[in-house]
Amino acid sequence: MHSVDFFDTRIIEGTTTSIVLDNGKIEQISVNFTKGAAVRALKGGSWGFTSADGDFDVEKAIRAASELAVSMNDKSPKEKVKMQDIASPVVSNAPKVKKNPLDISLEEKVSNLKEFGKHAKKEGISSTSAVYSESSYKVMYTDSTGVEGEYDVVRTGFAISAVASREGLYQAGRESRFGVTGYEIFDKYNASELAEEAANSALQLLDAKPAKGGNMPVILDPELAGVFAHEAVGHASEADLVLEGSSVLENRIGESIASPLVTIIDDPTMHEYGYFPFDDEGSQTKKTTLIENGVLKSYLHSRETAAKLGGTPGHCRAQGHSRPIVRMSNTYIDNGNSKFEEMLEEIGNGMYLIGSRGGQVNTGEGVFQFNAEKGYLIEDGQLTTLIRDVSLSGKILEILNNVKMVGNDLKMNSGRCGKGGQLVPVTDGSPHLMISEAMVGGA
Amino acid sequence: MYDLAEKALQAAIKYGAKEAEVYIVKSQKTSVNIQKDMIEGAKENITTGIGIRAIVDGAVGFSSTNIMSYIDEAAKNAVSSAKTQDADPDWKKLPSNQKYPTVSGILDRDIHNMELDECIGHTMEMIDAARATPGIIVTSGSFSRSHGERLILNSNGIEVSEEGTGISGFVDVITNEGETSTAYDFAISRKNDIDFAAIGKNAAELAKKSQNTISIEPHKTEVIIHPFAFSDLIENTFIPSIDADNVQKGRSNLIGRKDEIIADEKLSIYDDGLLEGGIDTGIADDEGVASRKTTVIENGAFRSYLYDTYTAGKDGVESTGNASRNSYLSTPSVGSRNFIIDFPSCDIVADTDSGVYVNTVIGAHTANSISGDFSVEARNAFTIKDGKLDKPIKSLMISGNIFDMLKNINGAGTDVRKVGGTITPSIRVSDMSVVG
Repeated sequence: MHSVDFFDTRIIEGTTTSIVLDNGKIEQISVNFTKGAAVRALKGGSWGFTSADGDFDVEKAIRAASELAVSMNDKSPKEKVKMQDIASPVVSNAPKVKKNPLDISLEEKVSNLKEFGKHAKKEGISSTSAVYSESSYKVMYTDSTGVEGEYDVVRTGFAISAVASREGLYQAGRESRFGVTGYEIFDKYNASELAEEAANSALQLLDAKPAKGGNMPVILDPELAGVFAHEAVGHASEADLVLEGSSVLENRIGESIASPLVTIIDDPTMHEYGYFPFDDEGSQTKKTTLIENGVLKSYLHSRETAAKLGGTPGHCRAQGHSRPIVRMSNTYIDNGNSKFEEMLEEIGNGMYLIGSRGGQVNTGEGVFQFNAEKGYLIEDGQLTTLIRDVSLSGKILEILNNVKMVGNDLKMNSGRCGKGGQLVPVTDGSPHLMISEAMVGGA
Repeated sequence: MYDLAEKALQAAIKYGAKEAEVYIVKSQKTSVNIQKDMIEGAKENITTGIGIRAIVDGAVGFSSTNIMSYIDEAAKNAVSSAKTQDADPDWKKLPSNQKYPTVSGILDRDIHNMELDECIGHTMEMIDAARATPGIIVTSGSFSRSHGERLILNSNGIEVSEEGTGISGFVDVITNEGETSTAYDFAISRKNDIDFAAIGKNAAELAKKSQNTISIEPHKTEVIIHPFAFSDLIENTFIPSIDADNVQKGRSNLIGRKDEIIADEKLSIYDDGLLEGGIDTGIADDEGVASRKTTVIENGAFRSYLYDTYTAGKDGVESTGNASRNSYLSTPSVGSRNFIIDFPSCDIVADTDSGVYVNTVIGAHTANSISGDFSVEARNAFTIKDGKLDKPIKSLMISGNIFDMLKNINGAGTDVRKVGGTITPSIRVSDMSVVG
């Protein structure tokens, strides 16, 4: 029927609603309903991929993908790709939705957003915005080996930002919370308080001093250290990048690559924003230890990379109907036993970097860059001057080895991660970290 | 497509919209992926989607779908979303009465009709050219060609129907002998005129040249910024400040600064929706306003923000044709079109006694888009000595502020590149802070 070695189909159907509040006024309400299928076919060493929208014909899409795979295999034949065999996934321990957002009226969502959004408008704040979003999806997977699975997932969340300005100086503060949860996210987090915190951060930064760059010891707060775990270690652990030859972690399984204080885990089963019960090629998910006490233990795998390198699949994800690629889920540095006060005492002079405006990594060279939201100078073990526009860059392996203390205050932060033009929900987290030397950049 | 759009428009009016707009896109894209020197596979995507804006008392509701049997429901959702909101006195109306210009160079039948064989051929040209340089692996890359149609109808009589094509190539390479270094190159065009072999060759040679690095001390110096790095910085730091929406909401450094000198007097910047063969060229913007050319900076003086219909109505001016959508899934918002950086050119490296040359940066999206402050990691950076690129630099952060930079531009190269929608030469800036 289909003259290919393997094929699979993924059907996704669902709705998303978002409401945007800008300076106290509803700017937009958007409701989207989409359905589509993503189909892959493998012949020899070549993949064919098609996607179809709306009222599609799956058989037709499978035929189109198969034709592409066969044709690619004829025109540029190469080593056969093997897919790791898996059992059909079992969806257990799924997050329970207490308040289904689809059961709550648009009016109520609008008035809730207006109510908590108001709290960001403090004196000195020139502009505020708040966004509420929800999505509710059903995912159905089947493949040519008989694997099949199905799950529903609800995600909700909100983000608030406030801009403070004074004499041509502009600073922004942001807070956001997203999760695999229903409307009860507003019972879990106090959105009004978070709106005030966003405003306070922005106001505080107006009085911050620009950073002076250089090499120095630093303490990273849990949010920024979580970004480090994700950007610097998580991406370099993705086995597709390892196979491409663009990861500094290639051929290093079993080696000590970090301070023995460092343990890094990726766990899709946690009920955080990056949760999924099985990945986008049907593999059951489980907790994966990337680094244990400084030793590199595992990469993150798809069925293809697991078969090639040896490993466990379960980290292959796609945005919507895109082609699945190796991705992270909920990535964190595990707790150590140091206290923040002990770190301050140990470091003497340096910088405390707080929060994140995002980051980026070149996994091939093992170089990363990310921006903190703010920082403090540390002088004689005391936090002194508040600093803005401060960034951190360096070599992944150097920083991992320079970790001298790991805190006991792990915190997770939700966000979205981009790779290959696709965005997927993730969380990352860490306790406080003390690093003996890092390159800090400033204005 | 026209019948579906007409049906959606009628449905929105029937459910109570005072004004309505329908945006439909249909696109077909073929791409070929590279993984470690080999073609990994091919993708064919066909996408059709519809977005409906319904306006009731100035409040905008929006709904979208890719299921054509769901259009009536989507129209109903858009209207009920609009009715949930308070009236917006700043809303004037959807566009009407437009005279459309003619544009050229955005549709190439060779791209539309390109067979898979030719797609594979172009992908191989990139791989082969890169591998001609010894010690290089192409880690990843892609070729793609696309054809798209869009249709915009609104209840004020706007009707825009346009088709176009696009083609692009990209490779990322790494060295596999000596010091590890990476580099990438890409090109994008509306016409079938890309030199794919040059993409592979450029990336490979740059990675090779970037080996045997030295460290440098933190200092202030002249920095020449390649079009890739400069467009990355300008898109993340400057363009947000001229977005009228940000200006009206108090999120721009350029509020109330029209006609002020904000840049070196030899610098001009244009936003041009009509540019021949431009990536963002079309007869109209994404809500049906006729495209035009807007002078943003004229000889150093700041002249204009960029507007869509809503923000223009609020300021009592005309839209500059800058309504932009990422897909049918979202309402239009202000976005630049072809963004052209104009500065007198010279042989810029030869003209520089000492300084630093930066090819690309990582982390530009972490910049402060309001204040314009940034601090990014420079890649494939070199020292400049006596008018020549000298040594590759191991690790380098460059930091500064885009508004200081605009004043400190003192030279530009002859190497104008189309980096997506931004068209710029290499730019030289004095007195930038570099940390090695």
